[in-house]
Amino acid sequence: MKKNIKNIIFCSCLILIHINSYGQCDSIANLCSKHIISQFISDGQSYRSLLLNSEETAEFHTTFFGETTYRLAACSGKTDRNLIFTIKDQDDHILFSNKKYANAPYWDFKVKSTIVCTINAQIDPSKNAGSGCAVILIGFKQK
Amino acid sequence: MNNRNITFKFSFTVILLSFAFFCSCGDYITEENSDELIFEDTVKAVTLNVGGELFSIPSPIQSASLVKNSGVPYNKQILNSGNKCGQYASDFTKALNLGVYGADLAYISMHNQSQDALSYLAATKTLADKLGVSSAFNQTTISRIKNNISNKDSMLVIISLAYRASDEFLKTNKRTEMSSLILAGGWLESMYFSLKTYNQKPIKELRFHIAEQKQALTSVIKLLTSHNMPEANDLLNDIEKLTLIYDNVITNYKYVEPTTDEAIKTTYINSTTEVIINDAQLEKISEIIFQIREKIINTKA
Repeated sequence: MKKNIKNIIFCSCLILIHINSYGQCDSIANLCSKHIISQFISDGQSYRSLLLNSEETAEFHTTFFGETTYRLAACSGKTDRNLIFTIKDQDDHILFSNKKYANAPYWDFKVKSTIVCTINAQIDPSKNAGSGCAVILIGFKQK
Repeated sequence: MNNRNITFKFSFTVILLSFAFFCSCGDYITEENSDELIFEDTVKAVTLNVGGELFSIPSPIQSASLVKNSGVPYNKQILNSGNKCGQYASDFTKALNLGVYGADLAYISMHNQSQDALSYLAATKTLADKLGVSSAFNQTTISRIKNNISNKDSMLVIISLAYRASDEFLKTNKRTEMSSLILAGGWLESMYFSLKTYNQKPIKELRFHIAEQKQALTSVIKLLTSHNMPEANDLLNDIEKLTLIYDNVITNYKYVEPTTDEAIKTTYINSTTEVIINDAQLEKISEIIFQIREKIINTKA
């Protein structure tokens, strides 16, 4: 009986930690939005994914239109530099990874010609992010 | 037996207290001197994942910019009348048309039409209120838009932030299907005024922009199919007709290594894409988009 109660409490705590991670998504989105400065127009969307561990990857496809500069902000946890994001083209060439730049929380992309990309994000295993929520925001400005 | 009851009650109390500790409710607040909406604290958030994937829809502002640059004069008649905002009965049609009005606001703002911007803002707010996302278009946001009504750039920033806030709110409150419908409505309207303008003045920039929407189309379809929305079936059937046309649009992609300037945190994407679309394909896309759009804006459901 004691063992059953302990198991119930343990499972409940896991569930509650999961819920807590979801709740932090909005706080992370708020922190992340500060990287999309007013010169950039938001694309009107908030991309979020709950990553339960550093092996999980959030992925989305987007079109970067030509003659446009995009800013991509990527956040997880209460501080910057917890999220690694990579941009690949349709042929799987890596166009950029912030891992090479100390997990920079944002980066600008000047796009010459329209390109379809895949953006992957994962939590840096070496960081104690405090949350499994990955948030990506995109802004743009015309050249 | 008494020991078992006490143990159970203790465990239940621990669970209840833990739940109260971890979960909190909150609301949107706005900073007085900022053009950004911020969150005080939140209820559980929801991810917009479909099988591990997220989806991105192009902002209508980009299409509106090309339309403006085409030189075709502003034409209010091509927009969805703001007076119709009261006729949309279901959340399904309200959400779609909230997206439509968002695209129309982008078109209006690009053309610096302050008076029309105010009336479309009112229509947008009406629908937002009815959909329960009034916090994204609250009085502070409306005031900021009005104060910047003659500044196109500021208008576009504030409007897009309001739509992002609406997107976040809907996702947080497990109404991701509404978020998807707003995005779909915005995309369809931006395709509509792009095609309308192209038909009037067939410039290559618009031609290519229309041709480059294949990924966006795929995203719209996946977004709409990811929710259990029987009311979206007809819309999906119509939108999927576009797939047959876009599958035959030729795309020639050439990878060129990007270059990066670390000092300014900028990477130059040098790869190129050539799209080849013929007049018959454009005509067919126009026909389908115009039909879908007519149904969306004229429904009283």
